Amino acid sequence: MSNVVPPRVRAGLAAVSWPVYILLYTPLAMVAYYSFAPAPLQTGHSVHGYAVLFSDGTVFAALQRSLILAFGSATVSTALGTLLGYGLCRFRAANARGLAANLPSLIIYTPIIMPSLVFGISELIFFNFVHSATGLLAAGLGTMVIAHITFQVPYVALTVFARLAGLDPNLFEASHDLYANGVKSFLFLTIPIVRPAIIGGFLLGITLSIDDFTISFFTSGPGSVTLPIYIYGAIAKKGISPEINALGTLMIATVIVLALAHFFITRQRDRRASLLPS
Amino acid sequence: MSATNPPEILARVTGKTAVQTEARAKSFRLWITAGPGLFWVVLFLLVPSVVLLGIGFFASNDYGQPTMPLTLGSFQQVAGYSLLGWDDGNIIILIRSLAQAATATIVSALLSYPIVFFIMTRPVSVRPLLLLLIILPSWTNQVVRTYAWLELMGPNAPLTAVAHWLGIVPPDLGIAPGSFAITTGLAYNYLPYMIVPLYASAERLDWTLVEAGRDLYAKGFRLFWHTVFPQTVPGLLSGVIFVAIPAFGDYVVPQLLGGDRSLMIGSLIANQFTETPDWPYGAALTIIMLVFTGAGLIAFRILTRRLGGAGEATI
Repeated sequence: MSNVVPPRVRAGLAAVSWPVYILLYTPLAMVAYYSFAPAPLQTGHSVHGYAVLFSDGTVFAALQRSLILAFGSATVSTALGTLLGYGLCRFRAANARGLAANLPSLIIYTPIIMPSLVFGISELIFFNFVHSATGLLAAGLGTMVIAHITFQVPYVALTVFARLAGLDPNLFEASHDLYANGVKSFLFLTIPIVRPAIIGGFLLGITLSIDDFTISFFTSGPGSVTLPIYIYGAIAKKGISPEINALGTLMIATVIVLALAHFFITRQRDRRASLLPS
Repeated sequence: MSATNPPEILARVTGKTAVQTEARAKSFRLWITAGPGLFWVVLFLLVPSVVLLGIGFFASNDYGQPTMPLTLGSFQQVAGYSLLGWDDGNIIILIRSLAQAATATIVSALLSYPIVFFIMTRPVSVRPLLLLLIILPSWTNQVVRTYAWLELMGPNAPLTAVAHWLGIVPPDLGIAPGSFAITTGLAYNYLPYMIVPLYASAERLDWTLVEAGRDLYAKGFRLFWHTVFPQTVPGLLSGVIFVAIPAFGDYVVPQLLGGDRSLMIGSLIANQFTETPDWPYGAALTIIMLVFTGAGLIAFRILTRRLGGAGEATI
């Protein structure tokens, strides 16, 4: 396939692509570079920014909230999304047409296509109204978790659905013939088969949660500052400082290390699996 | 005749046909499994967004909160009419947002083609890694990867120094805050959303068409345009939607890399709910933004259908 592309064109493609790869990482590298800025009135490089960062208790509190938010929301959205994807794949009437049949798809695609600003402001207003009417759902970590679950559920459902849609429906018939009831066949057939998709959905949920700022910003309360909100507030107040760069560097490094580790581990596993007799 | 399987037994007990009971059981199971997730999204997203849109039709009290009577006043305000007469500020912000979204989309499309085909011409074993390296920056937090550009384009930053030397940017000012910085930030943020669908359609490319084109003495750009490009159109259109829609309503990038003179609709809307509350006005602005988003979405949906959509598993 690719041998159709002449060497001259290949060289041209590489000449455009490598600079883009470099450009993608330059801003991130600059954050890391400036995180080693010297302390005031000194020159050279230092870990001053990191020292200031680690002596700041609010940052640890923010980190803790970010982790609770990411893992808490991803856990709930994985459960809801897996059931949703499974249900739509297995139990939706095949011949259904019209609005009623398309309603689930419509509901699933709304959070994906809705601009996150509109998403965030809708939640802000809704939580505000519910709180003033009932006293429940005061803006804070709880409302942030609810909002994060909401935008993760469709992605988990789509991941699980895509995996199930590629399966032979006779598998479920076979489990039925072997006297598995609905719950049993879900637990011992579906879950093992879609486990990669469930894990993938969970990781996707965490990634989406960590990546998000806009929706978090509008659903947070005064006592629920997470890392991105902390950074945004610090930049708005006093500009970029070495400790903010130190925090940014650690966040960037964590994502890059985890993503590369996940990539190479799964690749090695796939290779090993392909060596086994099937 | 005795019933042997559960639906038939159930049918005898309830006096309904087996088919009816089975359909019932199926829809019951659908609601048990899909119900909670769908209910969650309806309760915490669809209901709130309907409330938000509804607020646009209320009047605003002294605290910027919605109050009776129902009015279209907020929409007049959006169009630029106020006690002081007509003002073109909002129209300019809307046009600027559309232009920014369009520029960011075009820039990322122009960058994506060489990158996608660069990856395609590499050995199969390294392609996933090359694709991952494109996606990776987008997994870092929005705020971090956006403010990172200030390190390059803020006042006293390296790229700004180059711009000063070239005389593009007046001394004492940075590239950021400014329109160019916003375009860069948007393209940077959403480039992977263009590359991934484009890569998916490039992977399915039928290269025999390219060979056929070559046999017919097509060369260079003509060969690409008539054999490769048409096959990538479904991916390109998905990419355009994935880039243009979030770029149009983006909040973080204009907020961090833009200034007052490059205000975009996202920041304008957010201001009505944070700094200077006026919920009905903000809701009316949101409705206008969603109308433009929806129109773009429908237009591209029709275009995709006409040009042959990508046949992926869709819910």
